[in-house]
Amino acid sequence: MSEAERERLFLENAATTSAGTRSVSGTEALLSALGEIVAMDSPVYCPGVTELEKAAAPLFPVRVDDYAAAAVTVEEVFGGIAETGTLVCSSEGGRAVQAGLLPAHHVAIVRRGRIFDTLDDFFAALSGAPPTNLTLVTGPSRTADIELTLAIGVHGPERLDIILF
Amino acid sequence: MSHEQTSLAFRENTVRALKDSPLRAAMRHATDTFGTKRADAFAPLADLEALRDRASAIRDDVLANLPMYVDRFVASATRAGATVHRAKDASEAREIVARVLSERGARLVVKGKSMVSEEVDLNSHLEAAGMEVVETDLGEYIIQMEGESPSHIIVPAIHKNRRQVGRLFADRLGVPYTDDPQALTKIARKALREKFLSADAGVSGANFAVADTGSLVLVTNEGNGRMVTTVPKLHVAILSVEKMLPSLADLPAFLRLLPRSATGQTMTSYVSVITGPRKAGDATGAKELHIVLLDNGRTEILSGESRDILKCIRCGACMNVCPVYRAVGGHPYGWTYPGPMGIVLTTLLTGMRKSHPLVDASTLCGACVEVCPVRVPLADLILGLRRRKVREGFSDPRERRGMEAFGKAAAKPALFSLGQRLAGAFWPLVRALGGKDVAGRMPVPAKTPLRRRLP
Amino acid sequence: MKVLLFGTCLVDTFFPEAGEATVRLLRRFGAEPVFPKGQTCCGQPAFNAGFEAQARAAAKHFLWEFDGDDPIVTPSGSCAAMVKHHYPRLFRDDPSLLAKAVRAGERIYELTQFLVHVAKAHEAGLRGKGTITYHASCHLTRSLGVREEPLTLLSSLKGAIFLPMPDAARCCGFGGTFMAKLPEISCALADEKAASIEATGADTVTGCDSGCLMNITDAMRRRGTRIRVAHIAQLLAEGL
Repeated sequence: MSEAERERLFLENAATTSAGTRSVSGTEALLSALGEIVAMDSPVYCPGVTELEKAAAPLFPVRVDDYAAAAVTVEEVFGGIAETGTLVCSSEGGRAVQAGLLPAHHVAIVRRGRIFDTLDDFFAALSGAPPTNLTLVTGPSRTADIELTLAIGVHGPERLDIILF
Repeated sequence: MSHEQTSLAFRENTVRALKDSPLRAAMRHATDTFGTKRADAFAPLADLEALRDRASAIRDDVLANLPMYVDRFVASATRAGATVHRAKDASEAREIVARVLSERGARLVVKGKSMVSEEVDLNSHLEAAGMEVVETDLGEYIIQMEGESPSHIIVPAIHKNRRQVGRLFADRLGVPYTDDPQALTKIARKALREKFLSADAGVSGANFAVADTGSLVLVTNEGNGRMVTTVPKLHVAILSVEKMLPSLADLPAFLRLLPRSATGQTMTSYVSVITGPRKAGDATGAKELHIVLLDNGRTEILSGESRDILKCIRCGACMNVCPVYRAVGGHPYGWTYPGPMGIVLTTLLTGMRKSHPLVDASTLCGACVEVCPVRVPLADLILGLRRRKVREGFSDPRERRGMEAFGKAAAKPALFSLGQRLAGAFWPLVRALGGKDVAGRMPVPAKTPLRRRLP
Repeated sequence: MKVLLFGTCLVDTFFPEAGEATVRLLRRFGAEPVFPKGQTCCGQPAFNAGFEAQARAAAKHFLWEFDGDDPIVTPSGSCAAMVKHHYPRLFRDDPSLLAKAVRAGERIYELTQFLVHVAKAHEAGLRGKGTITYHASCHLTRSLGVREEPLTLLSSLKGAIFLPMPDAARCCGFGGTFMAKLPEISCALADEKAASIEATGADTVTGCDSGCLMNITDAMRRRGTRIRVAHIAQLLAEGL
């Protein structure tokens, strides 16, 4: 699969799961996308650890350290899987995976080079002991427990935005 | 609350269910919706049959080497920092979970969906030990509030319509009545969020256990499974021994099949792979992870003729296509697992004495066999259990006499022909005498049977 | 070509017209049907109820009656599936009967299989009339894998209109002894099937298994529906 094909497939599949998707190049474009996606008056949890998170963090006027109290989490995640439009969140490197779970809005930045073609490719690339928590995220939290009618945002985010960087 | 097994009253249960028109409408709607969604989800998948073959072969291998994989899992999970307990039966499993929780002073326990915890009737035991146990899967939350048991292994409240849920929430939670599923979901989110944040422990099940890495795999949609396993400081997972997969490389086949078969999704919202508790430098995971591996008769099933039922990955597809399940829902089956897989598992796990009417709860139409993602030969397994029922003397004596007569006549054409004539002569009488069950629904035998019409 | 006709116990006892129609069809397409006079039942009622010894007695008798190399034709998907798929199980410990059982499974044709694949009856320009819908019986469809043949035949009928039924392959609730053991569910399933049939607006419903058609007829009677129920052999033979 070519790089362009992989990215297209990833974004297309993610979009079918009701995730918002954007593809940006450069920090400027990333910040401007975040400016459009994130409600600036809400409390934002942004770990500010990775390079991209460091660039993004100053953008948010109300930053909180406790993700349980945040309305939005903005973070860079481990990677993505094109086959299913899935994000891979990992606890590796002291990341709090549940930070992407508790707030109602999850904004995940994923680097182009971190997209795997298929689920097989991703699991094959996991060498050695897996991290304590590895969570594949495909779309926002959902249920169909009442009359098999889709409802979004049960216990996890009701809104998921993916920015491919 | 505790739920007594009522499988022996299967027919009476179904008679009641058949008169419940909201239930029947809910079941028709649900099974129709499942059918369409499942078909749509599989349509774009190339080489479905090869995928089923692969998944089936992996499960065969797991069963053929189950003790080895379980030992490997125990070693890997222990190495990853989890404490693994082996429970030989339901009561041992309940004791272990209760002890782990109470020794750590747990008062409020949040639970993710787990059919194995239903199988061992965990909640009532923990409640008896003074704990508050809150089911957090929306469907489980609904039926816990109603004091019912699940009627489907994936969608526990499948038998209820939105108005019933709306009234329940209004009554119990004191919220204004609404029957909008999205609004009802929001109400549950708010009520349960407080529970997650203040819970002392989370109890979950697991869809798979990975032998090589000691990982637990949870395939979920709502996010409650993630909450239960990462927010409280203590996580207790309870699962049955056959849920092993050899390695993480085996997982993709199942991630492609399970959501599609279960809910008609290409992928569920969340797949969590949990390997041990929180370690130094981690910011995710329970501080303590206990894994309870339940046998509860599986080892015995493994050595018998019904072993293939242990391949089951609990997707629920077999019940979604079962005409009997569609007509009556899950409760008439009278125990934890309904539908075709439930017939087999209930009979094996609870014994023929407590469940023998279930083995007749199938028309053998084969719809379940057609959809099973791991090729469990459900119809053959049900036939096998019917043979066992006969062998063990649980069949109706009238049926036994009838079948013995049939066996003799089928091997003797003259006797068969005589039987035909007698039936022809007596049928109208049988009918008149009120043989309304069967005789009244069958036509009168022809005056001249085919054998006497042909040269 | 000589073919052995297995009438089945249901057709023999209750629906001999379907058997006679089968004979007319086979003759029309150049086969010489022979009805082994000693035939009884394939053993399915006992087999499906778990009475293996009785099923084996019936099966053994069948193998005796239908011994040889001639094709076997039967107007029942369910009975054909019994011979093809379950006989080998019944005789798994008896090598000589096992060989016969496997051979019988290879020789047996459900009627529409024979009519399409051997007799090419769908190319013969058979006539039909009115509007016809079709119930795809369970064992025929899922065990024997016969899905297209009946449709091919029905849609070839000149002068008849074929109307597909929603969920045509959903069980009608017959299920052999299921009908007797759980009559309430059986009737509920038959009712739903009858409603699907009614929804097509067809004046005739047909199928390849008389057990299902019997159950459907009963549901029609209870509902007061006046739709004709006829075995596919009868419909096809009427157009000769």
